[in-house]
Amino acid sequence: MSKIIEIENLTKTFGKVVGVDDISLSVEQGEFVTLLGPSGCGKSTLLRMIGGFEEPTSGRILLDGQDVTHVPPSKRAVNMVFQDYALFPHLSVGKNVGYGLRVAGMPRREVREKALEALALVGLEDRFDAAPHMLSGGQRQRVALARAIVRRPKVLLLDEPLSALDANLREQMQVELKALHTKMGLTFILVTHDQTEALTMSDRIVVMRGGKIVQMGSPVDLYERPATSYVAGFIGSTNQFRSVVATGPTGPQVQCFGQPISAPAGVAPGQEALFGFRPEKALVQFGEEGGGPDTLRGSVADILYHGQSVRLMIDLGAGEVLVDLPMSGSDGMPQVGDAVSLRVGADKIMVLADEVAA
Amino acid sequence: MKKRLTLLAQTSFSALCAVSIASGAMAGELNILTWEGYADPSVIEPFTAATGCEVSATYVGSNDDFAPKLAAGGGVFDIVTPSIDSTYALIEAGFVQPIDVSRVPAFKDIYEQFRTADGILKDGKVYGVPYAWGAIPFMYRKDKFDTPPTSIKALWDPALEGRISLWDDKSALYVAARLNGNMNIYELSDAELAAAVDKLVEQRPLVRKYWATAGELVDLYKSDEVWISNTWGGYQSGLLAAENIEVVEFIPEEGAEGWMDSNMIVADTPNEECAYQFLNMAISAQGQEGVFKVNGYSSTNPVAAKEFMSDSEFSALHQDDPAYLDSLLLWENLGDRLPVYTNAWNSVKSQ
Amino acid sequence: MNGALRLKRALVLSPPLLWTFLFMFVPYAILLVYSFWQQKYPTFVPAFQFGNYVQIFTDPQYFRVILRTLKIAFFVSLGAALVAYPYAYFLVFRVRKPGLRLMLYMAVVAPLWVSYLLRAYTWKTILGTTGILNSFLMSTGILSEPSSVFLYNQTAMIVTLIYVFIPFMVMPIYAVLEKIPHSLKEASADLGVGRVRTFLSVTLPLSIPGIVAGFTMTFCLTFGDFIAPFLVGGPDGQMIANVIASQFGASLNWPLGAALALVMLMIVLSIITVSDKFERLGQGRFA
Ligand SMILES: Nc1ncnc2c1ncn2[C@@H]1O[C@H](COP(=O)(O)OP(=O)(O)O)[C@@H](O)[C@H]1O
Ligand SMILES: [Mg+2]
Repeated sequence: MSKIIEIENLTKTFGKVVGVDDISLSVEQGEFVTLLGPSGCGKSTLLRMIGGFEEPTSGRILLDGQDVTHVPPSKRAVNMVFQDYALFPHLSVGKNVGYGLRVAGMPRREVREKALEALALVGLEDRFDAAPHMLSGGQRQRVALARAIVRRPKVLLLDEPLSALDANLREQMQVELKALHTKMGLTFILVTHDQTEALTMSDRIVVMRGGKIVQMGSPVDLYERPATSYVAGFIGSTNQFRSVVATGPTGPQVQCFGQPISAPAGVAPGQEALFGFRPEKALVQFGEEGGGPDTLRGSVADILYHGQSVRLMIDLGAGEVLVDLPMSGSDGMPQVGDAVSLRVGADKIMVLADEVAA
Repeated sequence: MKKRLTLLAQTSFSALCAVSIASGAMAGELNILTWEGYADPSVIEPFTAATGCEVSATYVGSNDDFAPKLAAGGGVFDIVTPSIDSTYALIEAGFVQPIDVSRVPAFKDIYEQFRTADGILKDGKVYGVPYAWGAIPFMYRKDKFDTPPTSIKALWDPALEGRISLWDDKSALYVAARLNGNMNIYELSDAELAAAVDKLVEQRPLVRKYWATAGELVDLYKSDEVWISNTWGGYQSGLLAAENIEVVEFIPEEGAEGWMDSNMIVADTPNEECAYQFLNMAISAQGQEGVFKVNGYSSTNPVAAKEFMSDSEFSALHQDDPAYLDSLLLWENLGDRLPVYTNAWNSVKSQ
Repeated sequence: MNGALRLKRALVLSPPLLWTFLFMFVPYAILLVYSFWQQKYPTFVPAFQFGNYVQIFTDPQYFRVILRTLKIAFFVSLGAALVAYPYAYFLVFRVRKPGLRLMLYMAVVAPLWVSYLLRAYTWKTILGTTGILNSFLMSTGILSEPSSVFLYNQTAMIVTLIYVFIPFMVMPIYAVLEKIPHSLKEASADLGVGRVRTFLSVTLPLSIPGIVAGFTMTFCLTFGDFIAPFLVGGPDGQMIANVIASQFGASLNWPLGAALALVMLMIVLSIITVSDKFERLGQGRFA
């Protein structure tokens, strides 16, 4: 695999506001990379610098080995799907898709063929002559996509492409985007603030905060081994607790809201650290008698029904944790107040680095 | 769209007709529709002090303003002062009422030509009291001419291209007709009128601008745009003299029109008493001096004029020269030919 | 709907309806009636005949003046568009500071609060033989003696009217440019299209509704103007509104004046209808 994009120490400031702060990142050819973070963390700015819409304050961008830091967008072999789709309202769907090719001087006929081909990829070849305002939101999104891929860019940039769609459509489009990526073999860089979206589609997720990269890795990496409390909280839910590692009867122990459980590997007695476990990793048992090692005891404080599972808030006395209970058939619904025991094995506990003030 | 239409409609409509709003005049209050200078405070203030009649004046820009203002109805005005070409139409339209000359003692002192002019008489009744008169002579910038012009032909001289102005009025047709040798300027046949139109069309490339108001002509001379034109005798030349621009008035070989303005009482005025007081004051020495001082116009009442004019002024204003008066082609009512003349003039400007 | 409610609704609606009726339809109805009347010395008399319309369509002077007025209105609108468009474009896309932008916008629009006459008069002092323009050209040696070509002709009228009506062109163009999403230009650049082509293929087509609106307004305002001919026009400056005014004034021929006014109204209405069709073409695009 070769590097299609290399970003070196890229910084962008708007007056006193730092949009992107000294970021270095490379993207492999054909990779699906997602920039993930809350609003204002600098994702769009980074993406727009790759597209050429913002001039970096310092740093370099290489595209396929070429320095394109100061190359205008019209001369970069990357294309963008804009958040508001940016379809030309005065042009038909087909003309929108063929716009760039036509202006570049490609014969009309060829333009039409290419546009139809691109529209076919997104399943809209029959709307070639429609006006953009006659399309639904999802269809417009697809047209924007077709327009961005018709020139076979080296990199496709997508800025929150799904955020304007309703939930059902969004899930469907996630699948389609992923399929398109696989089919075309293009490099995708997608910006989102939605962790589910990131987890579903990406080969690699880059988590950002305050203009910096906090952590990057595959979805599994990030989910299973979030480096910081911030990442752990942003991707999925995590029950977090701070504790000093002590030596217990069976080995090192940590206190989870006042109840001892075995400490995970990698920490030594006497050390203080932030720990966490995912709600679905706890083994839930009802009744007074459940127990054994590494078990937390408490009672059900609240119930959130999710269909395929139930999320329970468990009152541990000194604090509350969330756990997921799969709903497999005939199990009765738990009731608030039910006594419960949670088994959290040491292998399920994550050690989270302290947050660097960002 | 609707809003835009409304706006447009209002704009164009207000352009089409000026509607004056009627308001009842109080007793002892005179509303006069007249020319600028004819209701000067120097005359009106003593008048009000002496009679208790308050005067408020509305000024016209041309003789064409009288009939439409009266036709629009409302009876706002008590007195109007149209020129002799416009008086008779007002009489025939019933806009003005007969005057009891026994209530205007000085009427007999007025020049006979004026007090017996056709334009103010109908069925043996008098409808107007002549107030001021003058000529429509021509005028040129003294410093621009080596040989003083003596003929209307000067206004057709290509050497003066871009320096010529004519009054934006049917009077332009009178000028052109005289140049064509048609001295019956108020009774031109269609063919003669067409010839006058042709003459004016021929002249048009030489014309800098047709002047519409007295002030405009003064400005045109002042800003060096115009060197020769017709004028309201005595008036604009006086204003220009005050600006130190030396102009000379002349009566061309082809003659000049003469005009005379009369005060008329609007039909059914509720302020008849004040109206008669005003009529009397206007032809008194006080009133005649006013128009002489302010506008530089000649007096219709030579008896009164003698009281305030020096001998040289008296003769300069041709007050002692009946032949001069006779030589002027005193404006006449065009009757049903008026629209024909107006359209002929419009057609010149449409070329 | 019960009676009381209906009455209430009628009462609420009646003032605006009455207003519209009084100020829109009554004047036109009066004009229409007058247009069939007949001039008869010393004024005019009620009649029902088409003589006034016949006169308008047979005497070539009316056709000539209408044509001249249309021509001047066209050039005023064209000139105003050519000046207003770059200005509005500059304000919307080049001036970054909102405060400065507002100030520059108001600089064009604020003169609307100044009397039309005053603004038109200004041009007289600029264009005249002893005016600012001539003084400037002479002081720079471009002219050796003052030129009279700047004032009292149709060009002077066009220049003056462009100046007077330019706010009506700047406002709709500004509004339409401001509405064009920035992302469209970025998208165009993104698709490999340079600035000039982006302007021609995206910005300009999308600003057509604003240009059409401004064009229509300046056109109709000029078409009805009767002051510029008087102030800065030359002997060939007479426009249709002047002719109408002279029918209502000098020749006391209200019937002919009314007929002319209605012909003028028809022309204006057809222009508005056509431009409305045009504008509608561009509607619903940002939906
Ligand atoms: N054109 C701009 N001018 C000033 N500040 C900007 C501009 N664009 C972005 N910013 C600022 O830069 C930071 C990052 O913005 P952005 O990249 O849009 O964030 P995100 O896309 O992650 O929500 C924010 O604080 C934002 O206010
Ligand atoms: Mg963003």
